[in-house]
Amino acid sequence: MSTNLTSRRAFLGGSLLFVGGVALAACGKDDAVKAGAKITLEQWYHAYGEAGTQQAVMRYAEEYTKANPDVAIKVNWIAGDYSAKLHSTLLTPQAPDLFEIGDFQYVDVKNGLLAPLDDIVKGQEAEYSKASLDSATADGKLYGLKMMDDAMVLYYRRSVLEKAGIAAPQTFAELAAAAKTLTSREQKGLFVGSDGIGNAAYLLLWSNGADLLDPEGKKVVFNSPEAIAAIAGLKQLHDDKSLLLDFTTDWYDPGAFIQGAAAMQWCGLWAMPAIKKALGDDFGVVAWPKFGDTGQAVSRIGGWFAAVNAKGKHVEEAKKYIEWLWIKQTDLQKDWCVSYGFHVPSRKSVAAQTTEFTSGPAKDAADILANTSKAYPNLWNTAMDSAFAQAVLKIAKSGGDAKSLFDEAAAKCQAELDKQLA
Amino acid sequence: MSDTATSGRAAVAVRPAGVRRGRRGRPVDWKAVGAFTLLTAPMVLGLGLFKYVAIGWSFLLSFSDARGTVDLGSWIGLDNYTFLLKDEAFRSSMTGIILFTIFIVPVTFGMSLGLAMLLNGLRRGRAFFRTSFLIPAAVSYVVAALIWKMSLFNGLPSGVANTIGGLFGWDVQSWIASTDPPLYWIVIITVRLWLQVGLYMILFLAGLQAIPAHLYEAASLDGASRWEQFRHITLPMLRNTSVAILMLILIAAFQAFDEFYNVFITATGNSTAPVRPPLVFLYDTALKGQDYGVGSAGAFLLTLLIILVTLLQGRLVGFGRKD
Repeated sequence: MSTNLTSRRAFLGGSLLFVGGVALAACGKDDAVKAGAKITLEQWYHAYGEAGTQQAVMRYAEEYTKANPDVAIKVNWIAGDYSAKLHSTLLTPQAPDLFEIGDFQYVDVKNGLLAPLDDIVKGQEAEYSKASLDSATADGKLYGLKMMDDAMVLYYRRSVLEKAGIAAPQTFAELAAAAKTLTSREQKGLFVGSDGIGNAAYLLLWSNGADLLDPEGKKVVFNSPEAIAAIAGLKQLHDDKSLLLDFTTDWYDPGAFIQGAAAMQWCGLWAMPAIKKALGDDFGVVAWPKFGDTGQAVSRIGGWFAAVNAKGKHVEEAKKYIEWLWIKQTDLQKDWCVSYGFHVPSRKSVAAQTTEFTSGPAKDAADILANTSKAYPNLWNTAMDSAFAQAVLKIAKSGGDAKSLFDEAAAKCQAELDKQLA
Repeated sequence: MSDTATSGRAAVAVRPAGVRRGRRGRPVDWKAVGAFTLLTAPMVLGLGLFKYVAIGWSFLLSFSDARGTVDLGSWIGLDNYTFLLKDEAFRSSMTGIILFTIFIVPVTFGMSLGLAMLLNGLRRGRAFFRTSFLIPAAVSYVVAALIWKMSLFNGLPSGVANTIGGLFGWDVQSWIASTDPPLYWIVIITVRLWLQVGLYMILFLAGLQAIPAHLYEAASLDGASRWEQFRHITLPMLRNTSVAILMLILIAAFQAFDEFYNVFITATGNSTAPVRPPLVFLYDTALKGQDYGVGSAGAFLLTLLIILVTLLQGRLVGFGRKD
């Protein structure tokens, strides 16, 4: 009887010890991962489409923790409407310490959300493109570190143009004529976006020497005579019916170009590997051609910036991490740009070492990026974009009067700009 | 509530322990009150915290300059409201939704009722058709909008709509991007009807089945035609169902978002959409543009419009009026 009891007690005790031991071991294992890290930085990335990117940024974070055992980095991969999610989270205590920004917005700086990064970038300014520095600069301070540059260029199907006896367009008149000539029932000449607008309105303005805001960022100027002349180009493309509309994917996807639904397409460098795989060498790239003789060829620069939450608890540690990764680790920057997708490293010295950009259309795209690229000003916000786009829609598709519509939209944008600067 | 009252009344007869008479002589069943409180408290608290506090906060935000922040403090009075009422884009969004509602409500109502009558008259296969028409109601608006946009109405010669058009020798159309003529309404309205008609049809069908058959028998003996039967039996007997459905369709029309948002969305958002119903406009303003002050003001203006129209509708068709 008593032995029975003892054995039962022993069994219970043994079980408890076992469970406790497992729990302790589990705790120990968890600690081993953080390896005594005193600080954990929360980092947000938008969900990149390219396979392997999430593993890559987690690997970068681990390498940093290996070199700096005090700091661990928790990577959060955010699917869906990244900007809306980020901005609503930045209002809460759960805000990440580090995050990415695609389109820089002045309001973030004004609200004190972003920490200035001038001290870590000091002396490195020449490494970055002027357009990138300008978009991340507000009130004389720099708030974002470019992680990679995305070039946006005009792809054309070499064989199709050759068959029609057309050279790659160098002026807008040539582009419009080529688009018209290459349009048939099965194939349209040009694809700028499913809505027939995409980036084309901005590109047309820039290519005729017009702009959205004046260089000081105080005045809305897209109702200038140059802008009004240039936007007529978009109406012409619509009237000619040479634009591909309502394609199943938008301009950032190379589908329309690869399938031959359009002979020319405005798209990004990121699509070049897929295009090359599908079409081999049967394509070339040019910048968006100059509008008239006084204009210039242009392209858009995109890409993502690393930024630091100014209201976070670990601003200095967060800045150290992005300095380590996006300034010092040139191998990781190269890996990030060309191992998964296809982006130009944002630092000129790193881009120069990247062999992918030394020949062929990739080199052409990198040159277009270096010589012609422009970005939206960071004062250009959703409300202004929407007022501008609605005016463009009415001018290009419904035959509205360009001058009065642009004047009206510019007045609205000016009010919005004044509110931002107030 | 009525359960409490009933059990209270029942208690008068038996007067179990713990039941005392209330002030006006009605007994108060404290046990029932306790149970009522216990059962409703989580719901009331949750509703209070996540709805009413949020609504109240949003109301305060609508009077302040809240760009990129939800902190209160910089009060600007009615500026957000006057800004919106002067804003051409917001005004056209509001007038647009009113016109859309005036069109879509009778069409949805008529189609649902018509389908329900057809189904009710079927002798065989009623369950099959009922299920077939109801299935779309279970489909996500986003998924349906994308199928309409990318498969049925894409701008390629191989798109379903263009293939059918090709049989009649029509040109390849861009159904969503062309604004002149505004073909996108065909896309928006067909996807909405496909998604919604089934559900309202089921509600009507339930109403139709509740009408006693002998009314029709008596009417046909008296020589009433089909139309007279519909006009003098079906419609009056369906009045309560109709009024409720009408209100549901009306509110759903004012709250239109998903199909507009997903049909017109591009890489850069909804800025080039030819029509932006108020909810899309407010989403762009508050969540994309982070202007929570103007966004909140717009939400209250829309709420006001919905309340006004619902009251007006109540006046016209008599919602909640006793027969």
